[in-house]
Amino acid sequence: MNYFILNEDSFLISWNEELGSDLTQKISFFKHEVEHRFGSLIIECVQSINSILIKVDINEISIDQTLKKIKNIKINPKAYLNRKNKLWEIPVCYDENFGFDLQNLSNSLSISKNQIIELHKSKVYDLLSMGFLPGFLYLGLTDNKLYCERKNNPSMNISKGSIGLALNQTCIYPRKSPGGWNIIGNSPINFFDINSKNPCFATPGDKIKFYEISFSEHQNIKNKPKIPTYKIS
Amino acid sequence: MIKVVKSGLYTSIQDSGRFGYRSIGVPYSGFMDFKSAILANKILNNSLDSALLEITLVGPVLKFDNPTTISLTGAEFNSTINNKLVEFYKPLNVSKGDILEINNSVNGARCYLAVRGGIDSETILGSKSFYQGLTKSEILKNNDIIRFNLHEKSHQYQNYYSRFSLNSSIEVMKGPEFKLLNKTSLNSFFNQNFTIGTNNRMAYNLVETIQASTNTIISSPVIPGTIQLTPAGSIIILHRDCQTNGGYPRIFQLTKQSLDNLSQLKSGEKIKFKLIS
Repeated sequence: MNYFILNEDSFLISWNEELGSDLTQKISFFKHEVEHRFGSLIIECVQSINSILIKVDINEISIDQTLKKIKNIKINPKAYLNRKNKLWEIPVCYDENFGFDLQNLSNSLSISKNQIIELHKSKVYDLLSMGFLPGFLYLGLTDNKLYCERKNNPSMNISKGSIGLALNQTCIYPRKSPGGWNIIGNSPINFFDINSKNPCFATPGDKIKFYEISFSEHQNIKNKPKIPTYKIS
Repeated sequence: MIKVVKSGLYTSIQDSGRFGYRSIGVPYSGFMDFKSAILANKILNNSLDSALLEITLVGPVLKFDNPTTISLTGAEFNSTINNKLVEFYKPLNVSKGDILEINNSVNGARCYLAVRGGIDSETILGSKSFYQGLTKSEILKNNDIIRFNLHEKSHQYQNYYSRFSLNSSIEVMKGPEFKLLNKTSLNSFFNQNFTIGTNNRMAYNLVETIQASTNTIISSPVIPGTIQLTPAGSIIILHRDCQTNGGYPRIFQLTKQSLDNLSQLKSGEKIKFKLIS
């Protein structure tokens, strides 16, 4: 673990470890420990892909004091590796009306559109991080065969619920936005609700699995919006 | 209440910011120049994080439908109430029907207008700060109505004989990827003046580039004041509305004081960086 003081009230902790599910689970567990132990002394603990940012209430505790206490946190890998996670099941329609980059991707990756869909929905993904837009989800890691660069020219009008691929990650656009990810499908679910106490259904460290729905199922859910469901896995 | 007769160039409601939602990608937002904004609230004895108006470069024309007391701080804007010049940094009484006109900035980029008791607008995720996609709008528009607390008890007002001044010396601390810079880039970073290019509440882009010895990093947390270096050698200073994560090396971090100072500088003006321990 490396520590870095960023400014007057914030510092970073980063891990030089291979990216992947184990690291995500470790960071997520570490974040819970920090939040549990410090409560309101910490204004914010932000989980990212291989690091966390901690903003301290410096009226209550100094960064040095916080760091000293944090260095004492010992985590047994058993604790996070066996931890029960929320597994969210997200419906996706891969119809080309939505997945308008499927054909280009199929050409550049030299695999069929069906293979892309199969590979995408067969894996359970870690929610690595959020950002770019409120509620934008970075999920990973995707199958090696799906590795692709971002588009050279971002699309100006990616619709709400779009599912994208870039590098070894897949993403969900919570609202209409410009963006450079390759769009392969769309989910009819509401991913971000500013009126809710928890505006985003999931938090980093949760797991997400996609299941395929037809165009008509997509329309049905869209007309009767529902919130995502999860089970503990 | 206050009626927005003319909205000005970029006038928004801001408070001290939106905290606790960065993990789900929600920026801090809040006053660009904290020091000036807090002083506006202090003068009226408001709580320091009360919502107020942040006014950028060209100010609004506002009509008061109720009597109240206001204060103006920050950059110098030619401002009048019923065509009479008003002073900044002191409590100003306004009557029903009064017209406050805030014209162009003379010195600096942003001024703050606080109202006794604070502005009362929708609170989204714990803050009234405007932010695209969260609040109904990101700026005020003509004919908008601004509400404020009419039933505030009488206050003890305070005069602050503060004077606004620009500071183009920007103090920085080393950032997490500082070590990726080579000697040449370091020298050019500290030994030249940089011109402020396009800028907004999210980020300040600088015109001059430096040699980039770096590529991209794994997407990592950034905060207001983080200085990013792009692979093309461009320097980006993130500000209050910045995104939560970034993939460019974080070479330096502004002090809070310098982040305030930067928010008062305009496109075309020069800054110079200074390293503090």
